[in-house]
Amino acid sequence: MIKTLDRRTVIRALIVFVVGAALLTIAQIAVGDSAAAAPAAGTETAIAQAADAAAGSADLTDVEDPSVVEEDPGSPNPSGTTSRPLQLLFNGIIFGLLLALASVGLSLIYGTTGLSNFAHGEQVSFGAVLTYFLTTQQPVGLPFIPNDFVIGLPLIPAALIAVAVSAFTGWLQDKYLWSPLRRKRAAMVQQMIVSIGLSLALLNLLQWWIGGRRLRLTTAIDERWTIGPIVVGRTALFSGLIAIVCLLGVSFFLLRTRLGRATRAVADNPSLAAASGIKVDSIVRLVWIIAAGLAGLGGILLGLYDQGTAFDAGARMLLLMFAAVTLGGLGQAFGALAGSLVIGIVVEMSSLWLSTDLKIATALIILIGVLLVRPQGILGRAERVG
Amino acid sequence: MQELIDLLTGAGREIFGPATAAFALAAIGLNVHFGLTGLLNMGHAGFMLLGMYGYAITVRETGNMWLGILAATVAAIVFGLLLGWPTLKLRGDYLAIVTIAASEFVRFLGRSQVFKDLTGGSTGIRGTDFKEPFESLSPFPDKLVTIGPFTMHGSRSSSWWLVVVAWVIVGLFALLFWRLANSPWGRVLKGIREDEDAVRSLGKNVYAFKMQALVLGGVIGAFGGVLFALANAVQPDSMGRPTTFWVWTLLLLGGAATVFGPILGSILFWVSLVTVRGLAGWFIPENVMSATEREPFSLVLVGITLMCLVVFRPQGILGNKRELVISG
Repeated sequence: MIKTLDRRTVIRALIVFVVGAALLTIAQIAVGDSAAAAPAAGTETAIAQAADAAAGSADLTDVEDPSVVEEDPGSPNPSGTTSRPLQLLFNGIIFGLLLALASVGLSLIYGTTGLSNFAHGEQVSFGAVLTYFLTTQQPVGLPFIPNDFVIGLPLIPAALIAVAVSAFTGWLQDKYLWSPLRRKRAAMVQQMIVSIGLSLALLNLLQWWIGGRRLRLTTAIDERWTIGPIVVGRTALFSGLIAIVCLLGVSFFLLRTRLGRATRAVADNPSLAAASGIKVDSIVRLVWIIAAGLAGLGGILLGLYDQGTAFDAGARMLLLMFAAVTLGGLGQAFGALAGSLVIGIVVEMSSLWLSTDLKIATALIILIGVLLVRPQGILGRAERVG
Repeated sequence: MQELIDLLTGAGREIFGPATAAFALAAIGLNVHFGLTGLLNMGHAGFMLLGMYGYAITVRETGNMWLGILAATVAAIVFGLLLGWPTLKLRGDYLAIVTIAASEFVRFLGRSQVFKDLTGGSTGIRGTDFKEPFESLSPFPDKLVTIGPFTMHGSRSSSWWLVVVAWVIVGLFALLFWRLANSPWGRVLKGIREDEDAVRSLGKNVYAFKMQALVLGGVIGAFGGVLFALANAVQPDSMGRPTTFWVWTLLLLGGAATVFGPILGSILFWVSLVTVRGLAGWFIPENVMSATEREPFSLVLVGITLMCLVVFRPQGILGNKRELVISG
């Protein structure tokens, strides 16, 4: 792999990383008191934020957590600095796994149809918003229906229903929108702009449906355990486990089943797959169902992990998803997994030296760096992409 | 009856309002990207926001309007170069991904607490901080002026002065676009849009041409942002992804690759947006759709319009089907 990189591209990438990092650091130090305060007041606020992001818990425990670190100098980790990188690494892995759930579908869709689906973020939000709609004790309504009502299902059945409905929207979309477009032989650019229109419509539909406020999927207070140097929340742990199980399921499907092999064949070369008797259209429909279902699940788990979701939760993730998918190689399902883990870890670890506001910046720098050095991504095949 | 008149004046005002002009100008920039060169810039709002910040911050600090315009230009040039550098050698969708990501990133940076002293965080920069130098040039009286059914301030914010200046600028850039599109340079760009390899085989440096188009369109977009800032205020959340998609919708509505497409598209877009909101408030009872729900409702319609346009009439109202077949 190294042989294919010539020296110039490596230098270019290094320049991007160094300049990006330097600019952000300088800007952060140069601009105002708030910036100076961020690294200085660093440890406790940062730990609070880290813990906040780490283990989706109630506000109560957030307040508690830094105070434990401050008031307890005799704890095994004085000042908390030794545990921080590890804690962030753990958060990053969990976040990366959840990100992978959302982005595997994006990558599969790209692989089988060639479409960069900009409406994928809304699929992620949809799962989370639907779960909120089903579980909340507050009265909720539907667009155009004046009466509000309470459904109030327990979380787990609600989440299952939400995933099923998400998967169904995938089927619906492919049946009535994408499949006719493919049959019309609409150009890729055209389909891409359609996906953008769809994203705009869905985003606002979600806002219209559920409103702009932040939604909490559960009011239960999270347990957390200290394992060695890190604090593990129950939600984070279970989200991670569910994500691993689902990703293993997808891998098993792709590698070991006939349908999965057919899917990879379609991703490889649709015409050849069609010629060897694979029903390309049914495979693509299946991919849409899986992609939308996984995105919905990813949205729900992210909503639990972040202790809240909103109508634009997925739209905010779109940058990270595209960075992950590009890093792994557009169209490579396993690339999306690898890319998501890298992005998750880097984004979380970056808060060691960047304010948490800016951690998303690292994803953009990675994205640009990857495009300069290896546009086909980590796992992509070297081919002409220009 | 009064309501009908209000609705009609509201919609009529959008025909020449400053926001219409600002979006028309931004769409001319996007037209250089997409209409002429076929570049899929999905981060036009990023260029607009950078223009707004460049202008507003410089004017706030120095009080010099021309320096502000220079800063907006430089910001857009740098942003364009930065985005074009890794992506223009690759397939079109990489540019789309990077621009959509980068423009969101500009917005995140703008709202970030870290740069609060510079950009005002998520509240943005108040109009009074940067509008004064522009408004002091106004030859119009400093009070409300009524022309026909329309009442606007003479020189403050959304004023007659801004309307005149904005449309003169839009006219100038439409003229520039027309001349450029028919120049040898423009013909190379159209060639790139149709078949990149063919142009490359003629010995043209496709990368350089694309880069020039990206930067030029971006600068025009930034000027659009400055006009928008002068009519309203600098507010990072007003320049999110939806704004980019609006610009795309109105460009495709009017007709990409045409001189008057962006202008006609912008007028139609804003008039229908205001009309739909007004009619929705009129016909749909409050308990079915409250006032806060009207905004997302109208934007759902925008999204659906964009989808239908691309599928059924990709050349828009003024476009020539033979000239612009969306391909790629």
